[in-house]
Amino acid sequence: MSAETLQVLADVGKGKSTRGVLRVIILALIAGASIASRLFSVIRFESIIHEFDPWFNFRATKYLVANGFYNFWDWFDDRTWHPLGRVTGGTLYPGLMVTSGAIWHALRALTIPVDIRNVCVLLAPAFSGLTAVAAYLLTNEMTTYNSAGLLAALFMGIAPGYISRSVAGSYDNEAIAIFLLVFTFYLWIKALKQGSMLWGALCALFYGYMVASWGGYAFITCLLPLHAFVLILMGRYSTRLYVSYTTWYALGTLASMQIPFVGFLPVKTSEHMPALGIFGFLQLLAFLDYVRSAIPSRQFQTFLWLFAGGIFVMSLAALVVATSAGVIAPWSGRFYSLWDTGYAKIHIPIIASVSEHQPTAWPAFFFDLNLLIFVFPVGVYLCFQELADEHVFIIVYAVFGSYFAGVMVRLMLTLTPVVCVAGAIAISTILNNYLVAKTPTEEDQQAAEAAEKKGSKSGLKSATKPVVGIYGLWSKSLMVAGMAVYLLIFVMHCTWVTSNAYSSPSVVLASRMPDGSQHIIDDYREAYQWLRQNTKEDAKIMSWWDYGYQIGGMADRPTLVDNNTWNNTHIATVGKAMSSREEVSYPIMRQHEVDYVLVVFGGLLGYSGDDINKFLWMVRIAEGIWPDEVSERAFFTPRGEYRVDGEATETMKNSLMYKMSYYNFNNLFPPGQAVDRMRQARLPEVGPSLSTLEEAFTSENWIIRIYKVKDLDNVGRDHISATAFEKGLKKKKTTKKRGPRVLRVD
Amino acid sequence: MLRSTSPLLSLFAFLLVWGAALVSAVSTTGNRLLAVFDDVGEKENYSKFLGDLEGRGFQISYETPKSESLALFHLGERAYDHVIFFPTKTKGLGPNLTPQILVNFLNANGNILHTLSSTTTTPNTLISLLAELDITLPTERTGLVVDHFSYDTLSAAETHDVLALPPPVPVRNDISPLFSADAPAGQLLAFPHGVGAVLGPREQLTPILRAPKTAYSYNPKEQSEVLEANELFAAGQQLSLVTAFQAINSARFVLLGSAEMLQDKWFLAEVAAPGGKSVKTFNREFAKRVSAWAFQELGVLRVNWIEHHLNEVSAVNESNPHIYRVKNDVTYTISLSEYAYDKWTSFSLPANDVLQLEFSMLSPFHRLPLSLDKAHSSPEASAYTASFKLPDQHGIFNFKVNYKRPFFTNIEEKNTVSVRHMAHDEWPRSFVISGAWPWIAGIGATVSGWVVFVALWMYSAPTDKKVGSKKTN
Amino acid sequence: MRFTQSLAPALLVLAGVVQATSWGFDDGSVSVVAKRAGDAGSKERFTSKTLATKPISLGSTDTLKISLTAKDNGSGKRPHQAFVILKEKETGLEAPFPLTVKENGKAVTSITHKDLPVQFLITDEPLEASIVLGSFGSSKALDAPVFDVKLQKDPNVPLPSYEKPVRYGKKEEIHHIFRADPQSPPKVISIVFALAVLATIPVLFISWAFLGANLNHLSKAIGAAPVSHATFFGSLLAMEGVFFLYYTTWNLFQALPVIGAVAVVTVLSGTKALGEVQSRRLAGER
Repeated sequence: MSAETLQVLADVGKGKSTRGVLRVIILALIAGASIASRLFSVIRFESIIHEFDPWFNFRATKYLVANGFYNFWDWFDDRTWHPLGRVTGGTLYPGLMVTSGAIWHALRALTIPVDIRNVCVLLAPAFSGLTAVAAYLLTNEMTTYNSAGLLAALFMGIAPGYISRSVAGSYDNEAIAIFLLVFTFYLWIKALKQGSMLWGALCALFYGYMVASWGGYAFITCLLPLHAFVLILMGRYSTRLYVSYTTWYALGTLASMQIPFVGFLPVKTSEHMPALGIFGFLQLLAFLDYVRSAIPSRQFQTFLWLFAGGIFVMSLAALVVATSAGVIAPWSGRFYSLWDTGYAKIHIPIIASVSEHQPTAWPAFFFDLNLLIFVFPVGVYLCFQELADEHVFIIVYAVFGSYFAGVMVRLMLTLTPVVCVAGAIAISTILNNYLVAKTPTEEDQQAAEAAEKKGSKSGLKSATKPVVGIYGLWSKSLMVAGMAVYLLIFVMHCTWVTSNAYSSPSVVLASRMPDGSQHIIDDYREAYQWLRQNTKEDAKIMSWWDYGYQIGGMADRPTLVDNNTWNNTHIATVGKAMSSREEVSYPIMRQHEVDYVLVVFGGLLGYSGDDINKFLWMVRIAEGIWPDEVSERAFFTPRGEYRVDGEATETMKNSLMYKMSYYNFNNLFPPGQAVDRMRQARLPEVGPSLSTLEEAFTSENWIIRIYKVKDLDNVGRDHISATAFEKGLKKKKTTKKRGPRVLRVD
Repeated sequence: MLRSTSPLLSLFAFLLVWGAALVSAVSTTGNRLLAVFDDVGEKENYSKFLGDLEGRGFQISYETPKSESLALFHLGERAYDHVIFFPTKTKGLGPNLTPQILVNFLNANGNILHTLSSTTTTPNTLISLLAELDITLPTERTGLVVDHFSYDTLSAAETHDVLALPPPVPVRNDISPLFSADAPAGQLLAFPHGVGAVLGPREQLTPILRAPKTAYSYNPKEQSEVLEANELFAAGQQLSLVTAFQAINSARFVLLGSAEMLQDKWFLAEVAAPGGKSVKTFNREFAKRVSAWAFQELGVLRVNWIEHHLNEVSAVNESNPHIYRVKNDVTYTISLSEYAYDKWTSFSLPANDVLQLEFSMLSPFHRLPLSLDKAHSSPEASAYTASFKLPDQHGIFNFKVNYKRPFFTNIEEKNTVSVRHMAHDEWPRSFVISGAWPWIAGIGATVSGWVVFVALWMYSAPTDKKVGSKKTN
Repeated sequence: MRFTQSLAPALLVLAGVVQATSWGFDDGSVSVVAKRAGDAGSKERFTSKTLATKPISLGSTDTLKISLTAKDNGSGKRPHQAFVILKEKETGLEAPFPLTVKENGKAVTSITHKDLPVQFLITDEPLEASIVLGSFGSSKALDAPVFDVKLQKDPNVPLPSYEKPVRYGKKEEIHHIFRADPQSPPKVISIVFALAVLATIPVLFISWAFLGANLNHLSKAIGAAPVSHATFFGSLLAMEGVFFLYYTTWNLFQALPVIGAVAVVTVLSGTKALGEVQSRRLAGER
């Protein structure tokens, strides 16, 4: 390829308007690509809501659409957390539902009849397009290269770290929150750069939207003050900072307090204190700045700075005192677990039991970000080189984002935008350096050398830029080609990950038959449909909390606990019922008016996400509340093994969960041959017996098993003897009674 | 105050019509009665008792346990509504009357009257059934209750095995005196050659007639001479002579310790306690009441309707809403009727007893007595009502009337309502709260200050004063 | 001996009339024998007429020995029923303890804590013991209270657990205890503070006036851009009015469109009006 053809190609993008049109077209294509790559799940399976939390969001959206905004706002949900109920309207982030409700109403106003389900399913892909645009805008604030913005948009659009939470059907808060996060950051940078109240107010507006949408808003609440604080420490206090920060904080806090779930938290809890503290500190600095301009004495200035520092330290001390006195709520347990990864496991098993709260494994970074994880530090380094206010932001964001992403898997999501931005900066810098076909002329070189001579006298050596570099066309094209290959691999990787890892609805499982054809395992929906059609409308279903939202959404039956884990005691009660003997569990189930118990069992199919595998968490959570009655130790063999076969402990074998999982299981096999394929354990020849429950339903692959809770025995016996009597066993003569005899009292 | 026709009400209306259609059926659960004799000929001894039953509308079938056609269930439905077992000599009752079938019969709302006699050993089948109900008979399946203090001096002066007892008083003062009410003064109940049973601690059991303090049970075959100290089965009030058992579904089982007391002979006889005059026996009336209780003619309660509504001034006039708000004032009313042999009457509580309403979620938040509501009562039904303030806790609550009393049908009525939190616009407005006035004033001050500031900022001309110019810049 | 119903009632009537004999006992004594050899047991005598004066105390390891000689009409004879009946006074529960009787009427029994029903063990009341003697035939049976027994509990031995059995009956009333309503401070304080806050308005205005605030440019501004200044200032006031209506009567969906409309007016007229203000500033008039 000659230099001339390159020139022709480059000329196409020369004109300003041509470039603008090109940019718009490219952005539109990127948005289209990011939407398209999220549609795998709809094409592979169907337009269905995925996983767990989305089912609740979907149900809430349906309620919103059916009952209107104010009823949704005051929604008391009597079909979850039986019998406590949940003040759902006041304990959720309504942004997602209100967004899709608004879209649905808008489409209806445009006479486009569309099912609310489809709005919900496709909301996340639609917003991912917007996220790509927001990433473009944010990156453009960092660098003068427009290509960086386009690259960032592309990365943002297809990075698996973001796709993991935004495929079609993944109708979760994060679906819109990531867009809001990036866009709020963009507005913040804009406001800071211009010192503009208007941009600050817009930033506050989108911050308010973010608060309405996702609990992760605290990330913004902490990152912006941190950015401001770092700027102050760098001696970069300015009226721009003052105007943008105070505008954002005042309006943003007011906006966030409008959400019932947030309410007065911004002035009451430690998580929000940095923002308030920096707000106060900025007032102080502004005042000092004013005084300084009025009084020119140097000593006095020093005194003032000391004064400011003193006040800062004092207010910090006051914060500590107020926290310990309980005026300000201390850091919540979820927050502690961000600093000490072992904290949750010991103190709050309910948090630790969630798989997405586990620390991230290293390969996950490569898996979710691929190429970007390597160029990300380069981008950060480039930010150091420029180090304007906005670059400080990227650096601060990068540091904290990577830390949190390392602590918790789900926070990979907040890291992804900065990785995309920094990666785009790095790659665009590389491309910009190597795609220029021009070689410096002799004059240029001489001029540069002259400049170097001058510079070496006055400034630091590193501040000058010698004209050294690679000018050979071959090396350039090699580099560019290498980069292009990397980028292609990145796209392929992203597509592969999206298609294989993140597009499964997890409600429907897919497996491969020996001949390679796809086999759909639809036990979940089979069981939920059974519940919907065969039980009373107010039949209470007890299950582990993972399935609460799905039962509520798909089976439309009240549940005891669900994925909104607001009441640890209630969850522990279910844990206790599952991990205790039948005689202990039965009164608990009676008290909670349980009609059916649902367990997930993977022993027949080798399905790993079943309840026996989660069982230890139930035990741990129950033990947290009733340490005398439930003991984790009792579920391990003396050699410390967690077993389900013949050598399982008595506590394990007598626990309701074990019995429900393996009830009648050995009837599927020849005598003595029963094998749990999940745990590769040979089960005892005699299976467990149940007396307080009766099997009501077992799905095709035995993944879901539903049991009905028996009524009290009509003639007042306990269930075990009633069952024994039914089987025709002779009642044992209880002539020899232990203890003193008891007279009948009437 | 039925504001709208509830489904419950219409159901009961239907039941009423249905009940009226079956004029001959006097028991509330049906009139098909099976009497099981060893030998059907024995029924002659009980002709008055059985005649009384027929007179009350029962259709009696007589069978022996050996009969092959005997079946309590036909195609899964009860073939009989009630069963009487008269003493049989056989060791078991055969495959048609296993204990499992009998328990199923109780579970299917069938009622059983079971009579014992010290002269025949009780069949194993019935012993197993009794064991399931937590009733124990003497070992060797027989025993004789004697009392050397209150025996019939006319017929058992030497043997003391015909007890002459006053009509039974309830075991507690809050239990309905169903079996002794209006008994003619001085009449005695003859309890000839009876067997006493020991009851377990189960709450479904209630003794109708307990042995007097000095009575005891012994085995006439082996212990007629000497009662070894460690072989005593039971004595005194622990010995129940006539026992009532009511299952959770209100199916009834009566264990009558002496079959003989139902015989014509003892309906007509006169008895005399030691040192007393000879008086007519109370047996016929007692037999009537016991059988009427066992076969759901006495002590049967019915819930006619339940209604609850908001009891607030500006409330919507709605009956049985599904949702209330915390701290609402509500009124709950339940209408009950009691059956007496052939008609429904208004139910009045026994003395010392109260009908209680629980408002509960996991555990009761309120447990309040319901008082008679004359305005909604009639001769056929009495309404009980209570008004109260709902607790300040949201959740799914139950209005629960759990009226389970000895000798009355179990009433367990649960009406589920949700109690929601205060909606955002149901709190008192801020101008009503005096503590908020300074803050409202603050808003006013800010607004007016801002408006004036805008005006000044736009339209104020600079002044000569140095301070002023600084301010407006 | 098997009694049948064949005895003629007439005979029985006769028997009832001639009944004159009655059961009684002599040599009634009760003693407490301690397990430890050193303790000499106490011994009390009783008859059918006289109660033992003091309650007899029975330790947890002691044995209560009761002996008597049953007599039918004065001569020693074995009755069919010879019970010591212990009665718990509070609940009225009774437990019989048959005496072992010899042919000549000598009867003994011994009772320890282990023999007692659980309800007796947990009570603090003394138990009332009575002797019941009776047999077939015409002799009048005897039921005589004789002494009281007080159980001494060993503090080292835990009391047997006893849960009152469930009995259908009325239960304790429960009344929900409501949380206290939030309290406002006394109205006087609120009014004082509200007035203090309102007082800042005149203070502010007066101090502005003192600093030289005036509306002298109003005519100039109106002259330059009459419509935009009027609408701009009007729209600001209108916005406050909308807020007030939202506070009092409107809901969000009534307020939002109006806010939108007013905001558009504010922005459009504001650009013009504020541009005029800027022009004055640039002209050095401010």
